[in-house]
Amino acid sequence: MYCVKCGVKLQPGVESCPLCHTPVWNPEGKTEEKRYPASLPERTREADLSGAVAFTILSAVAILVTLTVCFKLYGALAWGGYVILGIALFYVLAVLPRWFRHPRGEVFVPVDHAAAAAYVLYICLKTGGHWFLSFAFPVIACSALLSTAMVCLLKYVRGGRLFIFGGFLMLCGGFTVLVEFFEHLSFHTAMFRWSLYSFTGFFGAGLFLLIVGMIPSLRSSMEKRFFF
Amino acid sequence: MAKNWYRLDTAGLIFPAIARRDWSNAFRVSATLDEPIDPDTLQRAADDLRPRFPSFYVTLRKGAFWYYLEHSSARVLVRQDYAYPLSFMSSAELKQNCLRILYYQNRIAVECFHSLSDGRGGSVFLCTLAARYLELRHGLTIPPGGMVADLSQPPPPEELEDSFLKNAAPVAASRREEKSYRLHGTPEHGFKTLTTGLVPTQALLDEAHRRRISVTALLAAVMARSILQLQAAETPLRRQRPVKITIPVDLRRLYGSRTMRNFSLVLNLGVDPRYGDYSLDELGRIIYHQLQAAATPQNMAGMIAANVQPQQLTVLRLTPVGVKNFVMNQVYRASGESGGCLNISNLGNVELPEPMRRHVRRLEFIIGPQRSYPNNCSVLSYGGTTAINMIRSIRESELERLFFSHLVELGIPVEIECNRR
Repeated sequence: MYCVKCGVKLQPGVESCPLCHTPVWNPEGKTEEKRYPASLPERTREADLSGAVAFTILSAVAILVTLTVCFKLYGALAWGGYVILGIALFYVLAVLPRWFRHPRGEVFVPVDHAAAAAYVLYICLKTGGHWFLSFAFPVIACSALLSTAMVCLLKYVRGGRLFIFGGFLMLCGGFTVLVEFFEHLSFHTAMFRWSLYSFTGFFGAGLFLLIVGMIPSLRSSMEKRFFF
Repeated sequence: MAKNWYRLDTAGLIFPAIARRDWSNAFRVSATLDEPIDPDTLQRAADDLRPRFPSFYVTLRKGAFWYYLEHSSARVLVRQDYAYPLSFMSSAELKQNCLRILYYQNRIAVECFHSLSDGRGGSVFLCTLAARYLELRHGLTIPPGGMVADLSQPPPPEELEDSFLKNAAPVAASRREEKSYRLHGTPEHGFKTLTTGLVPTQALLDEAHRRRISVTALLAAVMARSILQLQAAETPLRRQRPVKITIPVDLRRLYGSRTMRNFSLVLNLGVDPRYGDYSLDELGRIIYHQLQAAATPQNMAGMIAANVQPQQLTVLRLTPVGVKNFVMNQVYRASGESGGCLNISNLGNVELPEPMRRHVRRLEFIIGPQRSYPNNCSVLSYGGTTAINMIRSIRESELERLFFSHLVELGIPVEIECNRR
């Protein structure tokens, strides 16, 4: 059997040419002799836990040193709480996912935000502030919502990346206005001092991506020039 | 106490450093026999080869300053092949063995981490394994010589030497090279598609001799033409890049070495499409003459020195292996593979002893995709047939289509096999 398009000889029984995918007429109904079995190797990636182990040991040592210094010098936790919770926050953000073979973004992004919220709450309580519920919590909650939605869309929706990124950028613009609004409520600052600038930048970039996504010729031209 | 470890050879040093979490540099050689493989006999044959090929039965270990190879206590267990060749070799696997022996139907395959040996060394190992298998299975007596090693003798020291160190010039050649066009496509994340083109060796030789060039130069010219077409279809002329084919040169012939470790260097040969169009004749002549001019003992000695000299610097030798890995990674990323579009690694024509020839239907050689480009090509001729193996880690088969179609246009019959389902 030969491929009518490429002119190469094909194995008996193949359904299409492996080179140009032209369907092959198989009048004798022969079946293809498979040169390789169907079994796939187990997908292996390096576990590479060395970094996680090293960071865990370093974090534990840093916490111990902080505790020792604080209790030796002041007989109390003093500023050690900031340091210890800071290390814990860094650990949750950067080290915790390394323990997992396939860290799931839709789980870790909300967890990271929760850890950040806890740290900020500690600072608020420690400094006697009254800004957590009116400013920090809503800002972190909005950020968590936005980034989790982005991660889920990227993971579960096939294609449409330009629309997802475009929409995300536009929402980021809206988010900056929201941040300034919460700032205004909590600290009684004037509205629209800075957020309109960032909103314009984010919104413009997002809109550009949406337009590129909607016009196939523009999209392919951009792909050609910017592939990497 | 006998020494049970080896330094990595000069070429092998780079491969552990540049391995990624889902990519490692390995190659495969396989022999297809005239009957289904018996795994128990193959296992016995594999065990029998251990004393003769100690540098193949090793594990990869990390020292304070360098990686090294240590004799493996773990048996290399033969196992069935997978749906695609050269699946990822993880560091956990390399800590057990750097070698795989696989079988499927009539085929014995050996997959080897590149720090152990190159294609020539690997094919000697495979041919000796197949010879031992046939001896055990059919009671044949296969005389050693050529591609079959003598199992009754211990390995001579010159088979285990790092021949790079002996043949480096006092002054290093420059590594500077213009970046070439980069092949690309939709990645397939793990699966490697292998397209094998079976071509009558005589037809290839006739075509090459008619043009007064070598078979390697002919194949490289056809490949360069295919890549030039691919690039022209997607990039305006002014933004095009040189199209260069990376051709490994077996240095054993140049320096009379008998080493079974790595002893080859690559040359990037090709043309710059911005200077004008090239016919296939012109491409063939250019690549052939570039190859002839570059693959001389003097020039290669300078290139060897460029690899050997850095590893002899005291400061570098005393640098911890982790830092070396980082530096080598960055250097490799910047210049390691940027000079060529893809490899064409031609092992040439392999002759087997007469008693084996009756049982061995086909020999093949396959190199995996490189770290930064998705296609590669490897060639081996045996028994009047040349197997051209094109492997890719992307979905698109356009390069294979263009390459094999051009061979057909030259009047060379091509039979295609593919592992894709």
